[in-house]
Amino acid sequence: MKVINFNNHQFKINNQGILLWLEKKIAIISDLHLEKGSSFASSGQFIPPFDSEETLNKLINFLKIHEVQTIILLGDTFHDGGALNRMSSKVKLIFDSLVENYEIIFVLGNHENKMKSPYIKFYERYIVDDIHFLHEAVLEKKYQISGHFHPVASLKINSKKITEKCLIHSENHIIMPAFGEFTGGLNIKNPVFKPFLNRNYYIYFLTKKSVYKFASHDIKT
Amino acid sequence: MLDNLKLQPIENWLKKNNWSFYDHQLETLKHSKNGFDILLVAPTGGGKTLAGFLPSLEDLVENKSPNNKLHTLYISPLKALTVDVHRNLTSPIEDQGLDIIVETRTGDTSSYKKNRQKQKPPHMLMTTPESLALLLADTKASEFFKYLKYLIVDEIHSLINSKRGDLLSLNLSRLNSITPDCKRIGLSATIKDKDSVLSFLSQKLKAKIINIEEKSKPNIDILESNNRVPWSGHMAGYAIADIYKEIKKSSTTIIFVNTRAQAELVFNKLWHENEDNYKIAIHHGSLEKEIRRKVENLMSHGELDCVVATSSLDLGIDWGKVDLVIQIGSPKGIARFLQRIGRSNHRFNQPSRALLVPANRFEYLECISAINSIQKQLIDGSTEKKGSLDVLAQHILGVACSNPFQLDELYLEIKNAWSYRNLTKDKFLEVLEFVKNGGYSLKHYEHYSKIGINKENLYAIQSSKVRSKYRLNVGTIVESYMLKVKLGRRTLGQVEEWFIEGLNEGDTFLFGGRILEYQNVQENHVIVKSTKDQHPKIPSYAGGRLPLSSELSLEVRTLLNHKKSWEEFPSQIKDWLSLQSKFSTLPSEKGLLVESFPRKINNKKRFFLISYSFEGRNANQTLGFLVSKKMQRMGYKPIGFVATEYALAIWSMNEVEDINILLNEDIMLDDLYEWLEETPLLKKNFRDAAIISGLIERKIPGQVKTGKQVIFNSDLIFNVLKKHEPNHILLQVARDDAYRGLIDLDRLSEFLKRIKNKIIYKKLDQISPLGIPLVLEINRQTINKSDVNEYFLEELESEMLDEVGLI
Repeated sequence: MKVINFNNHQFKINNQGILLWLEKKIAIISDLHLEKGSSFASSGQFIPPFDSEETLNKLINFLKIHEVQTIILLGDTFHDGGALNRMSSKVKLIFDSLVENYEIIFVLGNHENKMKSPYIKFYERYIVDDIHFLHEAVLEKKYQISGHFHPVASLKINSKKITEKCLIHSENHIIMPAFGEFTGGLNIKNPVFKPFLNRNYYIYFLTKKSVYKFASHDIKT
Repeated sequence: MLDNLKLQPIENWLKKNNWSFYDHQLETLKHSKNGFDILLVAPTGGGKTLAGFLPSLEDLVENKSPNNKLHTLYISPLKALTVDVHRNLTSPIEDQGLDIIVETRTGDTSSYKKNRQKQKPPHMLMTTPESLALLLADTKASEFFKYLKYLIVDEIHSLINSKRGDLLSLNLSRLNSITPDCKRIGLSATIKDKDSVLSFLSQKLKAKIINIEEKSKPNIDILESNNRVPWSGHMAGYAIADIYKEIKKSSTTIIFVNTRAQAELVFNKLWHENEDNYKIAIHHGSLEKEIRRKVENLMSHGELDCVVATSSLDLGIDWGKVDLVIQIGSPKGIARFLQRIGRSNHRFNQPSRALLVPANRFEYLECISAINSIQKQLIDGSTEKKGSLDVLAQHILGVACSNPFQLDELYLEIKNAWSYRNLTKDKFLEVLEFVKNGGYSLKHYEHYSKIGINKENLYAIQSSKVRSKYRLNVGTIVESYMLKVKLGRRTLGQVEEWFIEGLNEGDTFLFGGRILEYQNVQENHVIVKSTKDQHPKIPSYAGGRLPLSSELSLEVRTLLNHKKSWEEFPSQIKDWLSLQSKFSTLPSEKGLLVESFPRKINNKKRFFLISYSFEGRNANQTLGFLVSKKMQRMGYKPIGFVATEYALAIWSMNEVEDINILLNEDIMLDDLYEWLEETPLLKKNFRDAAIISGLIERKIPGQVKTGKQVIFNSDLIFNVLKKHEPNHILLQVARDDAYRGLIDLDRLSEFLKRIKNKIIYKKLDQISPLGIPLVLEINRQTINKSDVNEYFLEELESEMLDEVGLI
């Protein structure tokens, strides 16, 4: 895990994309897109429906080792409004136990805006101290931790191109990678990121084994 | 015999051109009339096509077949071939005023024409296996094929033992259910295992093989050049001037290359030489249809002086007055080469003339061996392939699209397909479940099932939407995602997405014989503009993709070890080999030579290990993966490797200490299966299988990306599937494809046994003469990508952090 200092608060990011606010015992993840696999059945593509289980197990394993009391989900936790209904009983069990044992804050993402659930309360924005948690970053001077864009970066090393999920830390923004097992990514070169990238920013490059920290000028592609 | 046959019109036409029937053509006719299904095996130029059509033509002339009923179906693997055969048939038909309608139907046929053909079938239809699959998936398929009397499968040897062959096999069985009395004729080039090919075509008791031997030995030479044969590379740039001289001497020349990139480069260089303004054209599969057709037409009318081509012209096309065939680079296989040279002097019974142009020194050895093999009349074999399950899944859906089916009946029909003769009922049911709803009993998936049991207890598709999606997805050749190349308003052809990904604005590259400047990508088009640059900036992919056959490989090894045979070599090659024996030693025929030396790459000291296995690229590549995996475990930190037909070179951060442990047979094969699970190749095969089987929809050019992702990325599923369903059908298919394709498992095991205790190890201070070509190879393959990247990232990160003064 690598340490990130964000407005004098200490966070740690692991190679799976889980951000930990040590002092507050808060784990932050984004864009789980639960039941994305099963959502394709309607178009005749019967994707093996194991993504939710994998995604949630990744989280469970992390929670076993780290001290966490609150989990903030930065939106697009569910791939669509019908996701909860499609979950297998096995996955539902895992999900329910998480909700039971932790304080879970659901921030509202664009994939969920048509969702109506009796027992999930969605927040447009959730604030802890001076840190604002939202789904998609906004052009405000506040310190924000958000997701939505599924950032991915490419590095050219020894004439080879390596592409992986990443976390972006740019002055008052932390943009989280997508945590979901079946989530793809958008390259940080894409213009949507521009408004939030300072001249100097850091990317935390996530691989199967570790987290690597690079400064923006190191990234040539 | 001729008097009994109503072949007068054909005979007249032949006489007009000073031709007459060949014996084997009449023999084919005779046996077909007597109720036999026939496999005609003959070298190219042997009048096979006419032999295949004679029975059908005779019947049409004699029995005045009614209109709008399909009488004859001709299947060939290539669109170009169907067009060519169509041209060849209509020539005598029109000339003699016969009332026979002949049409083609391929991916290039317009939908208007396709509809018309369904309403009013021609007498004879020329088509491809994929178009046949589509025709059979139609609700009116039985009606359409009801009157079929003759079925001709051309170039059948090139279809079997491939997924396309699997699909064809299933459809041949389907046709057999619809018209069991239809007569079949298969046309094949010279191959080793003829009986299997006959069984593939027909399982009737009354089936026979008519075999024509090559009457005259081909006239093959290696191009003599005063220029240096390069160490490595595949472009044969050194020989262009000499090649041009040969073109001057001949009437019409075909130059064969192994890849599209080579075609572009050779074409470009030839034009730089072309002071006499000869008509030189280029032909490969990525060019627009119109451009290809134009070249084919000009070629058949003898209006071109030279064509530079890849395999799209490879199969059986009649080539007017070609009198010279030049093969650049090794032909990679004897059968393939024979077929190519059969093209020159396209008169049966007259020797064809061919010239081999090796692109590098090792290829020189390969070319000599090829010539030797041909003189000795050795033919390479091919391993039999069992029917793929992804293709079966596609087929089952196709059957359901045509009409509801009964479970057991379909199973029997599938078993009648040669490629699937060993399919168990269990496996069949497993595939059926997969087709229904992915094989998952989830409520949500059941709701959207593609097929289900109807009121009559038959399996039927649940909606017409299923049928329309099926039609878009059919086919077993999964191409890498292609983008159209647009110059102004013109579309020049298509190019692979991965190629474009590597380009920046302003980069120039070769395509369709021009140098183009890359601008950007819009939707699914690559926008380019013309440039006056003489040399393209981006080097094209240089590798030869065809693996060296084991027969040819053995010849090369033998050649290397018999100094006497070197006498005929040019001095460059002789010197090279002599130097090798002085500096190191020559690779042995029976054992294995391994060399090691240090060398700097990008200013960093690396340690090289070269093993001269000569086992063909597939086996060597597998060996490369296995050895590097072991090296990783042993702490040598391997970074990359290069595998060619002859050898394997691995470079690492640390020097290898014990070579014998590294190449120990037992540990190798254990690693193999484990390694296979991690390769990028498996992912790629999985992706192909996912598309072929219909799990994931195929990307369609022109499909605009909306906010919602329409097609699922198979790479994302792969890892999850391995964990939860390691025996999923598609993973089985992916593994089987990997074993067949990359691994060449048999060959590798044989090799490992052979070299046991026979390793000759040479520790050198610097690179050996024989090692130079390897190190210069452009193709680099990385092992277990993520691990390698980890080393680099670590190195890079600590360097950068050091620089910045951090950590």
